[in-house]
Amino acid sequence: MTDAPSQPVAADERRPARESNGRPIFAAEGVVKRFGGIRAVDGATMSVREGSITALIGPNGAGKTTFFNVITGFYRPDGGRATFQSKPVLWRPPYAIARLGMVRTFQITKALSRMTVLDNMMLAAPDQPGERLANVVFRPASSRRREREVREQAIELLEIFNLTPLADDYAGTLSGGQRKLLELSRALMARPQLLLLDEPMAGINPTLGRRLLDHMQRLRADEGVTFLFIEHDMEVVMNHADRVVVMAEGRVIADGEPHEVRKDQAVIDAYLGGTA
Amino acid sequence: MTELVPALPVAVDLEAFTSLGFWTGVGILAGIYTIFALGLQVNVGFTGIFNFGQAGFMAIGAYSMAILVTDADLSFWLALPIAILITMLFALLIGLPALRLRTDYLAIATIAAAEALRLFALNARDLTGGAQGLFGFDDSWDGVSDSILNGLESLGWSNPETLFPLFLVVWGVAILLMFALTFLQKSPWGRVLRAVREDEDAARALGKNAFAYKLQSLAIAAALGAIAGFFLALNLRFIIPDEFLPIFTFLGYAVLILGGLASYFGVAAGAIVFWTLFEGLRFLELPFDEVQIRALQFIVLGLVLILLMAFRPQGMFGNRQEMVLGD
Repeated sequence: MTDAPSQPVAADERRPARESNGRPIFAAEGVVKRFGGIRAVDGATMSVREGSITALIGPNGAGKTTFFNVITGFYRPDGGRATFQSKPVLWRPPYAIARLGMVRTFQITKALSRMTVLDNMMLAAPDQPGERLANVVFRPASSRRREREVREQAIELLEIFNLTPLADDYAGTLSGGQRKLLELSRALMARPQLLLLDEPMAGINPTLGRRLLDHMQRLRADEGVTFLFIEHDMEVVMNHADRVVVMAEGRVIADGEPHEVRKDQAVIDAYLGGTA
Repeated sequence: MTELVPALPVAVDLEAFTSLGFWTGVGILAGIYTIFALGLQVNVGFTGIFNFGQAGFMAIGAYSMAILVTDADLSFWLALPIAILITMLFALLIGLPALRLRTDYLAIATIAAAEALRLFALNARDLTGGAQGLFGFDDSWDGVSDSILNGLESLGWSNPETLFPLFLVVWGVAILLMFALTFLQKSPWGRVLRAVREDEDAARALGKNAFAYKLQSLAIAAALGAIAGFFLALNLRFIIPDEFLPIFTFLGYAVLILGGLASYFGVAAGAIVFWTLFEGLRFLELPFDEVQIRALQFIVLGLVLILLMAFRPQGMFGNRQEMVLGD
């Protein structure tokens, strides 16, 4: 009822490290989302190169989060197309998009408060046959086997993010920064090829923010994860992203390397409050 | 103050209070409410969906069973699983549109569905007997009950309580269900349910089909409601629409709150305490008449719930920390 057929993923599967090879892993074309008369996303066209760390920036109200919500299935689009690894994603429900390997986090962290940190992590793992009621009853062994693998992975990731001492605490007791780390590591448990992060640096101290960015660099190198992250502050982005997409008033007004985007007149106008 | 106490004619009628027949009856009710409220626990305590139509599921279960036996001449034992399936199908039918609603709207939709069902039962006289009700569906059960009574007698209990077999079977089933549900809850499936309770969008973003899990949760609650309905019908020996008034669901919530959220064994404790308090009050020798005592039962129940909220809001078996962390 809930699971599409899927191949089991080996616990220690590691994708070869690779840098951005220029091929788009994700592409959106003319995406539109209206709320009443307001066109929050007004024909956004962009792409994300495989293996890149791409930043999506823009002033307040540019439509960045709405764009995220549309491409991850949380909002129904009013037009446009989007593909992930050449598969169309618009109109698919959020859970199906996540299973394709395109996993998102939220601007306001969604820790599952009354579950332990470890349960938060284990929940996110894909291909757990025990998530189907029939398998719980009739195939308990395969469920237990997968559970052991998943627990190992979760403990490994918690170690990397320095969350191990909190593993048995309720996620609701974590601080804001710890929640950001938990949400990122939890998203990684879902084995994404493309990770969409909505303001991962917002509301956390600069030290932790830098650590988060270091994590992103390492995950890209070690696991080949591609990142698309929303960031409000342009300066943060310039040193860490290798591609920058700029949105203003629902449209993509620039798309390129940080140093190109920085000099783009439309971007300067948008950020200085000009008419973009 | 101390002078007032002996002046009040309060005493406990000990002889009636220790009557086994009385406690067998109370025990059966507590067992039926346990099974009934286990369904509410699956929904409210573990999935975060506010099902206020549980009495309606109980009605479908009981009526389907009775109609299959009396009208369709089906065997009682075959009618039970079929009635459970019918009730679960009905839950899916209601759930498909209603589970898309948010908490309070879902509560309204489910209570309305349950009331619509009850009024249908009241008016579809050819099918349900209307206000006259249905009876004569429990011959097979009587056979089982008699053999249990014989067994009890051979164990040396001369003249056992006639309702004691029902008491045994109700609690046997209730305990079995508690263990089964606790087992399911500890599985990865149960973990997804809790994630849906915590934050549906987070669960969906992690690849979980939250809607499908809510449907499954409602269908399981409906099955438990149907089983409670069977026992209610066997206890009363007839089925009338008035047995399925919304108050049944509300008292089920009282049981849930007493026992504590997110604990299946707490439900049983809640049901036992609830019915002991509720029926035990009758044996206080108070200077009131029957109608006033009946009102007093609800006053005391209300007081107990208020005191519980003040001093132990998580209920008897609920987790205090979980309650504080919930929004």
